[in-house]
Amino acid sequence: MTTPLLEVRHLSKEFTVRSVGKKQGSTIRAVEDVSFDIAPGETLGLVGESGCGKSTLGRTVLRLLEPTSGEVVFDGAVVGADDTSLLRRRAQIVFQDPYSSLPPRMRVGRILAEPLLIHHVVPRSEIGERVGSLLSAVGLSVDLARSFPHQLSGGQRQRVSIARALAVEPSLIVADEAVSALDVSVQAQILNLLKDLQAERGLAYLFISHDLGVVRYMSHRVAVMYLGRIVEMGAAPELAIRPLHPYTVGLLSAVPKISAEGVTVRIDIESPNHSDIVGGCAFAPRCPMAQPVCATDRPDLAEWEPGRWAACHFASQVPERLGQPIATSGGPR
Amino acid sequence: MRGRVLLIRLGQMVLVVLAVVTIAFFVLRIATGDPARLVNPPGTPEDIIAQTRERIGTDKPVAVQYFEYLWNAAQGDLGTSFRGAQPVASAVFGALPNTLALAGITVVVSATLAVALGAVAAWRPSGLLDRLILGWVAIAQATPAFWLAVLLVLVFSLNLRWFPAIDMGGWRSFVLPVTTLVVTLSPVLIRTARQSFIETLREDYIKAARARGLPSWRVFTVHGVKAASLPLVTLIGLQLGFLLAGAVVVEAIFNWPGIGKLILDSLASRDFPMIQGGILVAAVVFVVLNFVVDMLYAVLDPRVGAAQA
Amino acid sequence: MSDALGAVELSAPSARSAVGGAGRRILRSPLLLIGALGITLIGTAALFAPVIAPYDPSAQNLANILAPPIWAGGNTEHLLGTDVLGRDVASRLLFGARNSLFIAFSAMLLGSSLGLATGLLAGFFGGKVDSVLMRLGDVQLAFPFILLAIAILGVVANRGALLLVVVLGIPGWIIYARVVRSRVLAEKEKDYVAAATALGAGPWRRLFRYVFPSVWQVVPVIALLDVGFLIIMESTLSFLGLGLPPPAATWGGILADGRRNMVVSAWLPILPGLAIMITVLSINLLGDGLASVFDTRHVRGGFRRLRPTTPAPAVDSDGERLLAVRGLHVEFPLPGGTLKAVRGIDFDLAGGETLGVVGESGSGKSVTAAAVIQLLDPPGRVSAGSVVFDGDDLARIGDRRMAALRGRQVAMIFQNPAASLNPVLTIGFQLREAIRHVTDADRGTVADVARRALQMVGIADPERISRQYPFQLSGGMNQRVMIAMTLAARPRLLIADEPTTALDTTTQAQILSRLVELTERDDISLLLITHDIALVSEYADTMLVLYAGEVCEYGPVRRVIASPHHPYTRALLQSVPRVENAAERLEAIPGELPDPRQDRVGCPFAARCPEVMDVCRDVVPPRFDIGPGHLAACHLWAPQPVEAVTS
Repeated sequence: MTTPLLEVRHLSKEFTVRSVGKKQGSTIRAVEDVSFDIAPGETLGLVGESGCGKSTLGRTVLRLLEPTSGEVVFDGAVVGADDTSLLRRRAQIVFQDPYSSLPPRMRVGRILAEPLLIHHVVPRSEIGERVGSLLSAVGLSVDLARSFPHQLSGGQRQRVSIARALAVEPSLIVADEAVSALDVSVQAQILNLLKDLQAERGLAYLFISHDLGVVRYMSHRVAVMYLGRIVEMGAAPELAIRPLHPYTVGLLSAVPKISAEGVTVRIDIESPNHSDIVGGCAFAPRCPMAQPVCATDRPDLAEWEPGRWAACHFASQVPERLGQPIATSGGPR
Repeated sequence: MRGRVLLIRLGQMVLVVLAVVTIAFFVLRIATGDPARLVNPPGTPEDIIAQTRERIGTDKPVAVQYFEYLWNAAQGDLGTSFRGAQPVASAVFGALPNTLALAGITVVVSATLAVALGAVAAWRPSGLLDRLILGWVAIAQATPAFWLAVLLVLVFSLNLRWFPAIDMGGWRSFVLPVTTLVVTLSPVLIRTARQSFIETLREDYIKAARARGLPSWRVFTVHGVKAASLPLVTLIGLQLGFLLAGAVVVEAIFNWPGIGKLILDSLASRDFPMIQGGILVAAVVFVVLNFVVDMLYAVLDPRVGAAQA
Repeated sequence: MSDALGAVELSAPSARSAVGGAGRRILRSPLLLIGALGITLIGTAALFAPVIAPYDPSAQNLANILAPPIWAGGNTEHLLGTDVLGRDVASRLLFGARNSLFIAFSAMLLGSSLGLATGLLAGFFGGKVDSVLMRLGDVQLAFPFILLAIAILGVVANRGALLLVVVLGIPGWIIYARVVRSRVLAEKEKDYVAAATALGAGPWRRLFRYVFPSVWQVVPVIALLDVGFLIIMESTLSFLGLGLPPPAATWGGILADGRRNMVVSAWLPILPGLAIMITVLSINLLGDGLASVFDTRHVRGGFRRLRPTTPAPAVDSDGERLLAVRGLHVEFPLPGGTLKAVRGIDFDLAGGETLGVVGESGSGKSVTAAAVIQLLDPPGRVSAGSVVFDGDDLARIGDRRMAALRGRQVAMIFQNPAASLNPVLTIGFQLREAIRHVTDADRGTVADVARRALQMVGIADPERISRQYPFQLSGGMNQRVMIAMTLAARPRLLIADEPTTALDTTTQAQILSRLVELTERDDISLLLITHDIALVSEYADTMLVLYAGEVCEYGPVRRVIASPHHPYTRALLQSVPRVENAAERLEAIPGELPDPRQDRVGCPFAARCPEVMDVCRDVVPPRFDIGPGHLAACHLWAPQPVEAVTS
C-alpha cells in the first residue's frame, strides 16, 4: 500500500453558539473524532445532508478552521497550529458558490497571479505567461484575464476557482460542493474537467457534496457523514450498491432516480438533529432497525469487510432496502 | 425576558450614565479651568475669588469633588445653582416634563406620518405620489430647524397671528414647536419606512400571501405593516439624540421652559451644577428610552423575543 | 425577485451591461446632476469668496443699515442689502459658505477616517478590540453627544475652527464605523477570503487586498450625507451663538442677527436659511444619486399587474382540460434591454394530471409558473399568448377576478419555505387566515380545519406547531405547513415551484411523495416546476422540457424518458450523474445559454447541439409529432428527414 498523502486522525471541531443573555454558550460538535486517509491521486467522496459537518471537516483539514482536537498529517508531516506553509502550498480548496468565492473587485488575471506572488512560484516576469497557461488548463480563453468575476458565467467562475487552486501546483484539492450551484449541463463540464486534471496531474481530491450521484461519479472511495461522524466508508461502487449502514440505505433510497418506471420504493428518515446526540448511536432515534443496545452504546467505525467500514452494531444485517427481513448475524473483522 | 438579562441590561445602563456624567464633569473642568473665576467678572480681587471657591466647593481637589458629586447625585441631590440658591434637582425635574411632552408628541406624529407616507410611496415606487413624497423628504431634510422655526413665527405668529410665538401655554403653543421638530425628525423616518415597505413587499411571503388569494389591502396591512415597521422602531431609538439637539434649538427660539433651554441659560451664566445636572438627567432619560425601544422591538419581532427568552 | 429572473440577470451579458451602465446612469439622473452642479457652484464660490465678495464681510457702515435687497427696492451697491451694522449681506453669505463648508468638510474627514479605520479593524480582527469599540459606540448612541458638545462650546474661553471641527467631527466616527464594520463582517465570511487564506495570504493582505476594495464604497455616500448634516449642525451652533465667535461670518450667525430684526426686514433671516437649504439639498441629491448608481437593484415593487395588449390566440374547447397555455410570451423591460424570459410556450393540463416542467436556470420555467398564477415580479408582463383556466384567460381577466381565483382555484407553493411564511406572525394565525379567506366557517370550524390540514401533511402535534413562528421550524416543516395551507382550500390547480430544492434529499423524498399522494387523492392538477429531471421522471404524468424560454420536448413522462427525441433532452438525461449506475464519463453540453435579451433566429439550442444542421441556425424548428401526445421541436424529426438519426 502506498503512503497516504493525507492522514486525518481523530479530528474534532466544536463551535460555541453564544446566544443573548447566556454567559455559557451551548457547544455544537460539528465534527467528532473523524479519521481517514487519502492516497496520492485518489478521490475520497464525503457525502451527507446539511448540518452533518462535511464542510466544516473540509475546512478544518485545511486549517481554515482550528481543530478542537486531533491531527492532520500531510505527506508524512504533522501540520502544526502555526506552521501551515506546507499545507498552503500543497493543498487547495474550491468552494460552492461561484459568486462569492472570487474577490469581486479583482480581475481574473490578478486573482490567478496572487498565489504566484504569495509563494514566489515563478519569477515576476513569467507571471503573465503562467496565468495564461492556467487559464488554458481549465479551458478558458486567455482574454478572460482582463475580466472581472461578475462578467463571467457561473461555470466560467468555477473554472477560474479551479485555476486559482492549481496555481500553486497542489497535490490535494478540497472541492467543497464545487458543482452544487451549477446547472446540470455545466456541472457535467466541471466534473469532467476535474477528472481530466486528476488524470493529468495526479491530484488527490477530498470531494464534498450532498449529491450521491455526483459523489459516486467522482470518487474512488466514499465516506458518509451523519451528525459530525463518519458512519460508513468504502469503495464507491460497493457502497452505492450494497450499503452497510442503515443511514446510507435510507439516503440512497431517497435519491430520485431517472427511470421510466415511476417511483422506487423508499423509506422515511427524519432530518437529523444535534439534540439526538446523547449517549448511543446518533442515528438510533431515527433508525428503523434500532435495538435497545443502540440507545446506550455508540458503535465505533469498524472494518466489516476488507475496505468496508461502518459504525453500526448490526452492519452485517443491514438489508439493501430497509423493511426487508434482517439477515443472520456476523461481526466486524 | 429573564431576570438575569434584565440585570445585565440594568448594569449597562448605569455604566452608560456614569460614563456620561464622568466625561461631562472632567471635560467641563478641563475646558473651563477654575469655575470660581468664571462665575465672577474678570478682574475680581483674588480674595473674593477664594471666597467664591469656598462657597461653591471648588477649593477641594477635583477627585474629591467628583466623588462627592456622584455620592450626592446617587441620593438625588444634584447640588445647588451657582446663581441663587435653587436646588438643581427641582429645576431640572421641573423642566423635564416640558421637554418630554414636546418630544413625545413629535415622535408619535412623526412615526404615524412615516408609516402612512412610507406606505403610500411604496405602493407604486417611482409613481407620482412616491416622487412627491421623496421630493418633500429631500427638502425637509435640508431645512435647518432653527430657520424653519423662525419662518413659522414670522408667518403664523407675526403676520397671521394664529399661534403664539413664545412661551408654553395651551395647545396652540405646541403647534409651531412640534411642527418644527416633526419636519426635522420625519424625513429620515419616512425614507426608512418607504424603503422598508418596498423591501417587505418584495418578500416571498408577500407573494405567497397573494398566491393564497388574500386581498391586496389585507396583504399590505396584516402582512406588510408589522414587518415593515420594525426598522422604524430601531431608528427612532437612534434618532432620539438628534431629536434632543433639535429640542434645544426649538426651546431657545420658542422660549420653551425645557431641559434644553435650561442648559443654554446655564451656559450663559456659567452655572456648572445646573449644566451638569441637566446633562445627567438627559442621560438617564435617554438610557431608559433606549431600553424601552429595545423592549418594544423584542415584543414586536418574535425572532428577537425568542433569542432573549 | 424570483429565482429565474435573478439567475437570468446574473448571467454574463446582463451583468456586463449593468456595470458598464454606471457612467450612463450618472448622466441619465437629472437630480444627481443638479446636485453636483449646485455643490460645485457653491463650493467654488466659497473657495474664491475673498476674490468674488464685493466688500469686506466685517466692514461696517452704520450710515446704511438694514438696506433692502435689490428686488425689495434696494440698489446695485448691495445686491442682497445690508445688516444691522451696515455690512454687505452678499459678502457675509459668501464668507459664511466658506466657513461652513470648511468646518463641515474637515469634521467629516476627521469622523470618516476615524470611523473607517476603527470599522475595518474592529470588523476584521473582532475579539476584544471589537467589543470595546462597539460598546463605546453604544454608549455614544445612547447619549446625545450634541448636548455635551453644546456644553463644552458654551463654557470654553476661546472657540476656534479647530475646536468646532473636533467637537462636530469626532462623534461622527460611530456612523462610519458601524456601517464599515458590518460590511467587513459580511465580506470576511465570504469564500473568496477563505480562499485567500488557503492560498497563504496573511491577515493584512486579506484585509487590504481582498476585503477593503469591497467595502470602501459605502464611505463616500455616507460622507456626503454627513457633510449635509454637519453644515446644519454648524449653523445651528452658530445660531445659538456657539459657533465661530464674531465678527466671523457664519450662516447661523447671520440668521440669528436677522431674527432680531425680522419684524423690520424679514428677508434678513430668510436669505442665510435659503443658502443652507440649497447647499444641503445639493449635497443630499448628489449623495442619494450616487447611492442609487452604486445600487444596481431595480427599485420596482408594488402589486401592479400588466395585461397583454395583443389579442388572445384561439383555444379549441376541450372538456377534459383544466389549463391551456397558448403562445405564452413573458417579458421584463429592464434598463439594459428587454429580457424575453418566455418565448412562445404551449401546454395543456387535465384535471388531476401532474405536469413536470423541467429546465435549467434561464429556461423560463419559474416565470411560466408565475405567469399562470399572474404573480410576475414587476416589471414582468405577459406580452402575448393566453393562460386559459377553466374557460377564463387569466392573463386578461380583471385583478379582482384573478384575486378571487387565487387560493380557491389556483394555488402555489414556493422554493424557499421559510421565506414564504411571514416571519412575525405565528403558523396558526397564517393558516387560519388562509382558511377563513376561502370559507365562511365560524371560529371553531376554522380551528378544526386548520388542525386537520396540519395532520394531513404529517404533522403529529398541530397545536404546538400552530403556536410557533416560521423561524422556529425546519425547512421541511415549513414546507409541510405551506402545503397544508394551500391544500386546505381545495384548489383545482397547484403550482409547485422547485418545492424541495432547498431541502435535504431525505426530506425532499418525504414531502414530494406526500404532496403527490394528496393531489392524487383530491384530484388536484399539479404543475411541478423543477431543475431535476429525476424528480419529474418519478412523480409526473407528463413532462415539458424548456430551454432558454422555448419548448424542446413535451409528452408523457415514460415515453420521453424512454425515448427522448430532442438532443437537449438527451443531453440533459446523460449529463446527470446517477447513483444507481455510474457512467464512465458524463456527456457534458458544451457552451452556455444564449442571451435572453437578444432576438433569435433558428433553434435556441443550435449553438450547443451535437447534431446541429444548417437549417437549425436559420429556421425555428416547429414541434413535430413523435407519437401519442409526444412533441419535439427539432428539425431532426421533420417529416421529410434531412438525415436519419438513431437515438
